Amino acid sequence: MSGLKHWIAAVWAEAHEVPPGLPRLAWRAGGIWMLARETARPLRLTKAALFTAAAAVAAGAAWPMPGVGHAAVSRFHVIATILLLAGLPMLARRWAGPAAPSRAGRALRVCCWAALLAFLPALAVVEAFANLTPARPDFRRVFCGIQGCDGVPGRSTGGPPWAGEIVLLLLTIGYLGVVLYLTSRRSGISRSTLAIGTGTGLLLGLVMYAVAPLGLGNDATNPWLPGSAADPLVALAWILLAGGPAGAAWLANRRHRRAGGDRRADGDRRAGGGRPRAGFRIDQGIAAGLLATVTGALFVTALGTGTVALLLESAGLRHWLSPGQPLTAIATYRTEIYAGTNVFGYLLIWMSFPVIGLIAGATVASVFADSAPPEPNPAAVPGLPM
Amino acid sequence: MTSRSEFSAQTLSVLAALSQQPSDWQHGYALAKLTGLKSGTLYPILIRLADRGLVEACWQDEPQPGRPRRHLYRLTAAGLASATGALASAAELAAARAGTRKVRAGRQPLPGGRRSLGGAMP
Repeated sequence: MSGLKHWIAAVWAEAHEVPPGLPRLAWRAGGIWMLARETARPLRLTKAALFTAAAAVAAGAAWPMPGVGHAAVSRFHVIATILLLAGLPMLARRWAGPAAPSRAGRALRVCCWAALLAFLPALAVVEAFANLTPARPDFRRVFCGIQGCDGVPGRSTGGPPWAGEIVLLLLTIGYLGVVLYLTSRRSGISRSTLAIGTGTGLLLGLVMYAVAPLGLGNDATNPWLPGSAADPLVALAWILLAGGPAGAAWLANRRHRRAGGDRRADGDRRAGGGRPRAGFRIDQGIAAGLLATVTGALFVTALGTGTVALLLESAGLRHWLSPGQPLTAIATYRTEIYAGTNVFGYLLIWMSFPVIGLIAGATVASVFADSAPPEPNPAAVPGLPM
Repeated sequence: MTSRSEFSAQTLSVLAALSQQPSDWQHGYALAKLTGLKSGTLYPILIRLADRGLVEACWQDEPQPGRPRRHLYRLTAAGLASATGALASAAELAAARAGTRKVRAGRQPLPGGRRSLGGAMP
């Protein structure tokens, strides 16, 4: 820091040579900007410390209680997810380069990591509840047919199978890999493509979450909405699911059809200027489609699972989620069971959305790859024979 | 194939400015005028170059009356070698790009949509 002081003093001393007025003010503002930039240089350490703190909190909250039947699987899930979140960026940096200087890309990385960390304790709460044998005998009489009651009353037994755990981890690796690669410097994905894909994904995720905040199923639809299949929001969700990635791919493709393309995320232009090659435009379209669905799936899964976990943990939220409804204990428990079970429907979203995005993006990008603005009029090009 | 320079365009401009008179000490404002860089860009570059041992810096011994002492910069021996190499590479790269552009300009579509006269020549 003393070294930085020395450099700030240098800028300040030099300001006396700069013409007074706006130029001198700009010179000094540059010095302040330098101070801010240089102070933020150890940001990597700050980021590492923040991640460690957030990971510790998430792991602590997700760590299974003593006596939980599926403790081994849950512990494995927590440790493996945190190792993936910590290790994959380092691997990706070697393979695909550092993060691209794109705000949308950086925001996507941060949100993805935050979503997966928040997902850990939320899933732990839901899994513990899904395998819980009700403590109350009347609840056992009513719900044992739905939930299975072969454990000790009031205790969570059984648990997720190892195969399911491996699938979940593979999906996590896939999502992290896609996000890390597409937002990396070497992927060649432009800033506008990242912004288009992420923006569409956020919209898709928001609408999907509004439709199904309590898991994916017909039994516990949004308590604030009618929840019928013909609901306008449900229709919008379907339209967005089908059209969102395709629209994002089309937009990204169109954005790069102009000569010289768009500024890439790494700040360079495509070599040689001129019209971007078709492959480059197809890449942008596929990336936008994939990003839209990956972002949407992450958003809805993390938020939905979190909402269900809060529903199970917080009595206040139960009343807030069911405004004006008389909440008897048995009705509340019924909603919780359905929500807890329906959360696993988000796994379907995790598996299917990226495939939909990939297919839609690739199809649209391929179809529109050859469309381009009209060639310049040869008559307007000097030196060419008429 | 010319490899990409390890320095950014702005850093190259600072190196070029410093290597004009490598034995002379230069002021920050003079460098800013030569390179067209703002202080917020110039000084971080000087910091990096100094950290890498490519630039040496010192404070002016005898300041002008009523003025604070100024900070002075010049290339070290390693800096001069590095700057010479980087500027030569950049010049080569620029020449290669200019050549590519000329070739591309020569491939402008001909009237009638033809790209070359190959098929029309006997």
